[in-house]
Amino acid sequence: MREGLGGDPPGLLVRLRAGDPRAFEELVIAYQHRVFGVALRMLGSRAEAEEIAQEVFLRAHRALAEFRGEARLATWLYAIVSRLCLNRLASPDRRVARGDAALADVAASTPDAAAQAERAELDAALHAAIAELPDERRLVLVLRDLEGLSYEQIAETLALDPGTVRSRLHRARMQLKEKLERFA
Amino acid sequence: MTCIETRDLFSALADDALTPEERAALDAHLADCAECRRELATFARTVKMVRAMDPAHAPAGFVDRVLAAAEPVPWSRRVARRVFRPWPTVPLSAAALLVIGGLAVLLFRALPEQQRLARQQYQAEYQPQPAPQQPPARPAGPVRPAAPTASREGARGTEPAPAAKSAPPTEPAQSTDEARVTEQARPTETASRATPAPPAARDALSDSTRTDKSESRTAAEPSRLRAQTPAPTAKRAEPSSPPTTEAPAPPAGTADTQRAAPPGTAQEPGTTARAFERDEAKDDAKRAANVRREAAAITTVPSQAPPQIAPLSRTGPMTGTRAAPPDVTAELRTADVRAAERSLIALAARVGGRQTGRRIDGGRVVVELAVPSDAYAEFVRRAAALGPVAIDKQAIERSVLAIAVTISD
Repeated sequence: MREGLGGDPPGLLVRLRAGDPRAFEELVIAYQHRVFGVALRMLGSRAEAEEIAQEVFLRAHRALAEFRGEARLATWLYAIVSRLCLNRLASPDRRVARGDAALADVAASTPDAAAQAERAELDAALHAAIAELPDERRLVLVLRDLEGLSYEQIAETLALDPGTVRSRLHRARMQLKEKLERFA
Repeated sequence: MTCIETRDLFSALADDALTPEERAALDAHLADCAECRRELATFARTVKMVRAMDPAHAPAGFVDRVLAAAEPVPWSRRVARRVFRPWPTVPLSAAALLVIGGLAVLLFRALPEQQRLARQQYQAEYQPQPAPQQPPARPAGPVRPAAPTASREGARGTEPAPAAKSAPPTEPAQSTDEARVTEQARPTETASRATPAPPAARDALSDSTRTDKSESRTAAEPSRLRAQTPAPTAKRAEPSSPPTTEAPAPPAGTADTQRAAPPGTAQEPGTTARAFERDEAKDDAKRAANVRREAAAITTVPSQAPPQIAPLSRTGPMTGTRAAPPDVTAELRTADVRAAERSLIALAARVGGRQTGRRIDGGRVVVELAVPSDAYAEFVRRAAALGPVAIDKQAIERSVLAIAVTISD
C-alpha cells in the first residue's frame, strides 16, 4: 500500500493556474504512479491503463483553469481516473480480459527468484479475486488498501457518503477473504 | 452482539475506524467466541496480503508522452482534426484494401479480353482469309476490336448512349458475370449486345484513328488511356441523365449490365462467334445481315489504319494478366528509344506486319508486333540497322509471328 495522501506540493496549484509548463510536468511526475496504479488495478491491462492515465492528465491540463482548489489535486486526479475507469468498464465494446496484464506487472517486480513462484501463485490468486469484485467495490478497495486513501478521501473522491465507503469496503474484503482462504 | 454483527465490524477494525463503543462490544464478543476470533485472524491476513501488493508504476516514458500530448496544437491541425474527425474511426488500411481490390477487379475484368483482342486482331488479319461461304465467325474477329474501342470513344466524347441502344431492355437486373454465364443460353441477346457500335460510334472510331495518324506514338497512348478510363464514369451517369435510349429507361441493374456488356461480349472470341452462328441457325436473317454488314464496314478500319493504332497492351507485370507468350522475344539497344520504337513500328508495317501492342516492363518499352513469318528475316535484318538486336527466343512455325521487342538504351 502506498503512503497516505499528503498535501499538494507547495505552490504547485498557483503555478499550474499561471500556465507554468514546468508545473504541469511536476504534477505528472508526482502523481503518475498513483493514477496509473488505479487504472491498472481497475482495468487489468497496462496498455489500457496507460491510455486512461494519459487521458486523466490531459483532461486535468485542459481543466486546470477551472479547478477551484477546494479539493486537493490528488483527490481531483483520483476522481478523474475513477470516473474514466468506471466508464470504460461499463462500455459495451470493452473486450480486454481483466487482470491478465496486471499479473505480469506484479510478478515481474518480485526480486527474490526463489520466492517468485510462491509469490506468483499468491499474486495470481489475489489479482483474480480482486478482478472478480464488482467494479464499485473494487474501486473502493483499490483506493483504500492499495492507494492508502482514508475513508473521507475516498468519499470525497467518489462523491459518496463515508458510510457507503465503509460498507462497500467491508463487502469487498469479506469477498476476498472467502476467495483467498487457503492463502490466509 | 451476535457473530454476524461482530464480523461486520472487522473491516472498520482493520482501518482502526471503530468508535469506542463498537470496539468495546467487539472485544467483549471475541473474548467469548473462538469462531469469530479465527474469522478475524483470517480476515486480517487477507487485508494484509492485499496491502502487501506492490504498488504499480507507470511505464517508462509516460511523463514525456503525456507532456507531448498536452502540447498546444496549432490552429491548422485543430481545424484539420475537426474536419476529418469521422475518418480516423475508419480503418484506413481497410479502406485502402477496398480501393485496391476494386481496381484489381476492374482490371481483371478488362484485361483478358484485351489480351485476346490483340491476339485475335493480328491472327484474324494475317491468317488465310476465310472463303466467302464460310460462316461469319471469321469476320467477327476483326470486328471485335473495333466495337469496344468505338464504345469507349463514344463514352469519352459526345456519344455515351450508343452502347445502351444495343442492350436489350428486357433484362432488368443482371450482373456482368450472370450476363456472361447466360450468353450461351441466350445467343440472340448476346448477338445483339455484340452488335458492333452504331454508326455514330464508328464515326467516333474513325475520327480517333484519323487523329492518331497525325499524333505521335507517345501522344496516342494517353489518349487511349483516357478513352478507357472515363467510360464507366460516363456510363454510370446514364441512369440519372435524360433517357437517350430508344428503349424504356432501364432499372439500375440494367445499366450495370450494359456497362459491362460491350467489352465482355464483343471481345470474347469464341462466345461471340458461336452467338453469330446461332443467329444464322435461327434464321434471324435480318439481324445477321445487319451484323455482317456492320462487321464488314468496321473490318475495313484496321486495314486503313496505320500501325500506330494498335491497342495498348494490357499485359505485363503491372496488370497481373499473363500475356500469351510471343513467338519471338528480342531486345534492341539504342540511344534513342522513342525513335527506335517508331522505326520498329514503321518497319513492321513495311514488311507487311503491324504493331499489336505496347507496354512498359521494368521501366523499359516493349513493342509488340505481328509480322508475317515469310517477312521475318527481312524484318530482323532491317531491325539490326537500328541497333544491336539480341534474340532471346525464336519460334517461327506460325504464319504470323508475335514479336515482342524490348527497347532499351
